[in-house]
Amino acid sequence: MNRRLPIVSAKLLTLFVCGTLLLAASPDQKSQTSSSAAKKTAAPKAAEAPTVSTASITVNGVADIDPTKAFGSKTAPVVVEIYSDFQCPACKQLFLNTTQKVMDSYVNTGKVYLVHRDFPLPMHAYSRVAASYSRAAAHIGKCEPVEQALFQNQEKWEANGDVKGTVASVLSPAEMKKVQAIVDAKTLEPMIERDKQLGLTVPVTQTPTSVFHSKGQTYPYAGTLSYDVLKDFLDQLVAQK
Amino acid sequence: MLQSTPLNYRRIIIWIGRLVLAGIFIYAGYAKITMGRSPRPPLGVALGFFEMQVSSYQILSREASRFVAHTLPFAEIALGLLLLIGWQLRVWATLITLIIGGFFASVVRAYSMGLQINCGCFAKPEPLDGMTVLRDGALLLLAVLMTVFVYLEARKPHPWSAAETPSSPLQG
Repeated sequence: MNRRLPIVSAKLLTLFVCGTLLLAASPDQKSQTSSSAAKKTAAPKAAEAPTVSTASITVNGVADIDPTKAFGSKTAPVVVEIYSDFQCPACKQLFLNTTQKVMDSYVNTGKVYLVHRDFPLPMHAYSRVAASYSRAAAHIGKCEPVEQALFQNQEKWEANGDVKGTVASVLSPAEMKKVQAIVDAKTLEPMIERDKQLGLTVPVTQTPTSVFHSKGQTYPYAGTLSYDVLKDFLDQLVAQK
Repeated sequence: MLQSTPLNYRRIIIWIGRLVLAGIFIYAGYAKITMGRSPRPPLGVALGFFEMQVSSYQILSREASRFVAHTLPFAEIALGLLLLIGWQLRVWATLITLIIGGFFASVVRAYSMGLQINCGCFAKPEPLDGMTVLRDGALLLLAVLMTVFVYLEARKPHPWSAAETPSSPLQG
C-alpha cells in the first residue's frame, strides 16, 4: 500500500501537468486558425487590386518622376515640375487657367516635359485623400480627367469631404473599382510621400510652386502664374543654346 | 583755418540712409540680373523670371510689367551708385524715396489681398509676408528721413563758403 501511493501520485501529477500544457496550447492553435481564416478571407480583396508599378524615371537630370503623372516628350529641353495641393485655391487657378494652355502649346509640341508633384498641405483635411485618388487614377491612365474633376469641383468636395464621389463622377464603374482598390491597398502612398520630401528640398513653402529646369539650372517660382507671362519665360528657356 | 562741416543727427541719418539704401539698391539690381547664381543665367531668362514676379502683384498690365522688369534692375544699380557718390543728392534721394514708396504700397496691397506670391526683391525666393511689409516700411521711413534732411541741410550755406573771421592767419 505504501509503495503504490507514490507511484499513483506521480502518475496523477504527470497527467495533471500534461493536461495543463494541452489547455495552454489550445488558444494559440485557435488564434492561428482564426488568422489563417482571416487571411483566407482577405486574400480575395488583395487579389482584386490591379498591379501597379511604383517605379520612377529620371528626365534631364530630374529624378524620381512618376511617369503616370508626367506629360510630354522626355527629350524636351525644359522640364517643369508643379508642386500642388488639390485643396489649394491658387493651385486650382493655375491648373484651370494656365496649365492647360501650357499643355497645348508647349507639352504637346515637345518643348516642355511637365511633371505633376503632390504636395498636400497639413491644414487641408482632404488634400491627401484627393492626392491618393488622383495618383491611383493616373496609374490606370485617367490622370487628366480626375485632376480636372477635382480642381473644378474643389469647393464641393472640400465642404463635404466627398472626394470619392467626385472621382467616381468621371470614371466608369469598372475604373472606379480599380482606383478604389489601389487607394485601399495604399500601394502608391510612398510615391506621394516621396513627392512631398522632394518638395521640401526645393524648398516648397507654399503651393503652387513651379520648378523650371533648363540647361542644368533650376528656377523655383512660388505662386500662381498667368499664361501670358509664363509663355515669355518658357520661350526664353526653350531658346537657350 | 577752415571750419569742418558740423556733425549733427541730420547728417548722421543722411549718411546712414545713403549707405544702407545705396547698398540695398545696388544689391537688388545685381541680384535680379544674376539671380544670385554663378555663372549668371542668360539676361533674357533672368529678366523673364523677374517679369513673372512683377506681374504676380496684379497691378500692372502685361506691357507695363515687361517694361518695369527690363528697366528696374539697371535703374536700381544706377540710382544706388548716384546716391553713394552724392552728386545731385536731392534729386536722386527723392527719386529713390518715391520708388521705395511704390514698392511699399505694392507690398501692402498684395499682403492685404492675401496674394501668395514672392516678394521679388532679391535673388532668393522670399514669400511675401508680414516681415516683408515691416522691412519695406522701415526702409521707406529711412528714405523719407534722409530725403527731408537732405533738403534741410541744403538750405544752410556750407561753412567753406561763409566769410572768413578777422582773426584768420590767412588775412594780411
